[in-house]
Amino acid sequence: MAILEATDLVKVYTGGVRAVDGINFSVEEGEVFGFLGPNGAGKTTTIRIGVTLLALTSGTFVIDGIDVQRRPEEVRRRIGYAAQSVGIDDDLTGRENLILQGRLHGMSNREAGAKADELLGVIDLEDAAGRRAGTFSWGMRKRLDLAQALVHHPRVLFLDEPTTGLDPQNRRALWTYLRRLNQSGVTIFLTTQYLEEADVLCGRLAIIDHGRIKIEGSPGDLKAGLGGDMVTVTLPREAGAGPLEHTRAVLAGVDGCTSVSVHENSVSVVLRDGGAHLADLVRALDAAAVPVARLELAEPTLDDVFLKHTGERLRVDEVRPPSRISGHRMRART
Amino acid sequence: MRSLREIHVIWGRNMRKLVRVPTLLGFSLFQPLLFLVLFSQVFSSMAKLPGFGYDNYLQFLVPTIVGLTALNSAFQSGMGMVTDMDAGMLDKFLIAPLRRSSILLGKIAADATRMAIQSSLIISVSFIMGARFKTGLLGILAMIVIAVLFGIAWAGISNVVALRTRNAELTMLIGILITFPILFLSTGFMPSALLPSWLDTVARFNPITYLVAALRALVNEGWVWTAIWQCLAVTAGLAAVTLTAATRAFRKVIS
Repeated sequence: MAILEATDLVKVYTGGVRAVDGINFSVEEGEVFGFLGPNGAGKTTTIRIGVTLLALTSGTFVIDGIDVQRRPEEVRRRIGYAAQSVGIDDDLTGRENLILQGRLHGMSNREAGAKADELLGVIDLEDAAGRRAGTFSWGMRKRLDLAQALVHHPRVLFLDEPTTGLDPQNRRALWTYLRRLNQSGVTIFLTTQYLEEADVLCGRLAIIDHGRIKIEGSPGDLKAGLGGDMVTVTLPREAGAGPLEHTRAVLAGVDGCTSVSVHENSVSVVLRDGGAHLADLVRALDAAAVPVARLELAEPTLDDVFLKHTGERLRVDEVRPPSRISGHRMRART
Repeated sequence: MRSLREIHVIWGRNMRKLVRVPTLLGFSLFQPLLFLVLFSQVFSSMAKLPGFGYDNYLQFLVPTIVGLTALNSAFQSGMGMVTDMDAGMLDKFLIAPLRRSSILLGKIAADATRMAIQSSLIISVSFIMGARFKTGLLGILAMIVIAVLFGIAWAGISNVVALRTRNAELTMLIGILITFPILFLSTGFMPSALLPSWLDTVARFNPITYLVAALRALVNEGWVWTAIWQCLAVTAGLAAVTLTAATRAFRKVIS
């Protein structure tokens, strides 16, 4: 049985904004499931409904067999939640914050203290444990907040953009914690706008945009679902709309080319058996005298999946879309 | 039992903050102290006015200052609520398996403790300045209890503002804007007999007048039970309105 199950979930805010517009998904115990989407896609709204902080408009959200609307208190015992903007009392020390969480979940002082010490070790904050949390860096705050969500041994962990605002080093460290956590049996539901994060962490993910799930699957399946390799033809910046349209038409006619899309001054196509058909594609471009500034052949990324299903690229200014190589290296290290 | 435990946890967290950040204690004390020192000097000759009815202005002023301390502290309560919302702490309380009532009662208990400490400090300073308390230690205890109860009722207003605006500066500003005119429209700084008649009428409908009357009786006259019961009745009425409104605003925020 699924541990998380959302059915026809709708949230309309006062004022009429449909932040979540009929979402369905289910997550099995032990999975890492992610929502990948831009700001405003409905990720945080969905999470806040799941953690009982927000009432839904219609539909159901069931966690471990319990309806979040009907028996929120029982849901609260089973879940941990780390908000995007964290929840930390700056006047208390790191350790005191953790103890407070334990106490809020019904632990005795001693139990909470022991758990706090254990978690401080896990997130490498032992040295700073006695310092006021107000002095912590953002990376430390994110880690502390994650630990706070774990104090009461939740079965499901809800993480809203767990690594937003972190530098790459801190981000990778956090991924390591999360993976370890998942291996210990905790189901994780996370949201992210980072392609690499979705790729590296999620066993399965849903691409969400404008309050709806566009497609869902494992990162590998989603990329394979594009049906080939990505070829991107970039024209000179000054080329303009005419040549761009011309290029699009030429590429559409090449054998093995599917789903042609135009983005700024480049045209992307999915090319079946990329290597084998690339020569045909180049010959076609040459014959049509397309002014090519750059030609790329690459394995598809989640951004290509995103582009295909939403018509947009998922641009996050902070972080460049990952290359496959760095992704593999990271996996080896962690 | 379970509720008591939860209230204790929330209360303990706020107390720890108070110890960690002493400015939280001093914040509401500064202005009452200033008023106590300045007004008792500036208006000292007022006691010579015919019809004033008190030996010196300090004896007359101290109860008002104790009340003012509670009112100031009440507005600190709303600001704390905004801080907790901004810091994500309110969300942390809300997703813990706690009764909703425990979250509010824990906060009220912490506010009450802070007000009691602040009132005691102000009373100590007044004593050092020469004020004497007719009803003795027991009377001082009664003063603190009365001031705290009134302060809790007043804190309801500040929490409504806090929950509606989610803005600390605005909560502070509206607090000052509400408290000051109401304070001066009471018998806090001038006895009823010396107020212009229209102001005297206004003062009769002002809850602060009843707070000051009860405290003033305890300092200067003794156990005047009518004044005390009237003050408690007014406090209860005020609390019924403000705390209901605050609870409603809280429910709206958490749904």
